[in-house]
Amino acid sequence: MLSDPVIKFEKVWKKYSKQQVLNNSLRDELVSVITGRKCREELAEGEFWALRDISFNVNRGECIGLYGPNGSGKSTILKLISNVTYPTKGDIIVQGRVAPLIELGAGMHPDLTGIENIYMNGTILGSSISELKRRIGEVVEFSGLDDFINVPVKKYSSGMYLRLAFSIAVHSSADIFLFDEVLAVGDEDFQSKCLKRLATIRAHNGTILVVSHDNAALHRICDNILNLEHGTVLQGESI
Amino acid sequence: MDSSVFKRLYAYKDLLLVFIWREFLIRYKQTAIGVIWAILQPVSLMLLFTFIFGVVLQTTQKNYPYTLFYFAGVLPWTFFSGATNFAVTSLSGNFNLVTKIYFPREIIPLSGVAINFIDYLIGLAVYFLFLLFYSVPLTWNFLWLIPLLIMMVLYTTSVSLLLAALNVYYRDVKLASTFLLQFLFFATPVIYSIDAVDNRWKMLLFLNPLTFIVENMRRVTIEGRGIVLWQLAAELAGILIFYFVIYRIFIRIERAFADVI
Repeated sequence: MLSDPVIKFEKVWKKYSKQQVLNNSLRDELVSVITGRKCREELAEGEFWALRDISFNVNRGECIGLYGPNGSGKSTILKLISNVTYPTKGDIIVQGRVAPLIELGAGMHPDLTGIENIYMNGTILGSSISELKRRIGEVVEFSGLDDFINVPVKKYSSGMYLRLAFSIAVHSSADIFLFDEVLAVGDEDFQSKCLKRLATIRAHNGTILVVSHDNAALHRICDNILNLEHGTVLQGESI
Repeated sequence: MDSSVFKRLYAYKDLLLVFIWREFLIRYKQTAIGVIWAILQPVSLMLLFTFIFGVVLQTTQKNYPYTLFYFAGVLPWTFFSGATNFAVTSLSGNFNLVTKIYFPREIIPLSGVAINFIDYLIGLAVYFLFLLFYSVPLTWNFLWLIPLLIMMVLYTTSVSLLLAALNVYYRDVKLASTFLLQFLFFATPVIYSIDAVDNRWKMLLFLNPLTFIVENMRRVTIEGRGIVLWQLAAELAGILIFYFVIYRIFIRIERAFADVI
């Protein structure tokens, strides 16, 4: 069971454009819709490779860290796993439901209360309404927001906001969790609670990918670390 | 026809529900009169048109009571313009969701169609009160409203998806759509009747599916007459083809939205 790869990247390349106005992209896109042709694989003017020839596997229940400077392709990998974008070349296999916590609270609305946002954000992360109804007590308790849970989140402090977002995220019933720079949430108490929660997720066979600049923190929680630079994997750490 | 479209929407039906529910909550939060706005908007437009065309300009519209005539036209129009207006910026405005999390992108514009349809139904209930007030006889021909509503929703959905997708690529679409909606308002017989139009222009106006929908909504409710079947078949076929073409293209290009938005 434990050696099933739940995420498999095989020779993945991803191209991005630097240009603001994409005069060609829509035309290309429409042409490829009509002719069924794949998009061009070579670089055109103003384009660059965000990922070059990335291959790795992640097994069920593993915790993998992605480490590297800005622009090394960490977030692009998470976006590819969560199906937000697609690879230019190569194959990606992802098995199971993904909870992409790429930015905490991306789906929060300031005018809605904590409870309302739990439903909003929870369904965005792939939970069903009935699942959320069952879990709502747990989420509220974990966030430690008490009476503030019925207050619009625009009245929250930034710490409270992040705590709520994190609680929603880690209580989602996904199989794969993606965290982007979200380890530094809340005070020390809340942080240790978070680390415990990560351990629980793994104990239930959840797979975790963490992106961070903080190498020491990654070493503390991850089984393996993928070192990225300029869109390639350094040191060839095989996972 | 394309079952995968409905399958993937079905898998995300809870998200669609939550989006609709969210829009409803946001719209009426911190408002004093809440849902009454849904009635106030079309009713005030109807009163305005009645005043201008009935009292000031003293035009006659097929001997229908003015209020019924304008209300029947205003309701589909506010639905169409409300939904498409919402849709244009629905994807580009939610770029923080679109670039971070995957879900079928049509859910956001569709939630706009849905909330505007709820408003429409509330307006329709008020319209029926007006029909009662003018003691218009209720006939079986009212059932023609059902295919008309389906056509109205399908057409509005197609235009909404098209505008939402195009605005991801070109923000010009937002600017153009405001102007196009004004244009389309006059190309739809909301404040006039198609019978007053010269035959040469009639065919041109019927290229706009809203013309057919508005005219026949008046016909089946106020006059209690049925729809001409071949006209219904032709319009329905046109709308269905438009819908499936747009939806297909939308699904094909949606995976690139996160990269270009």
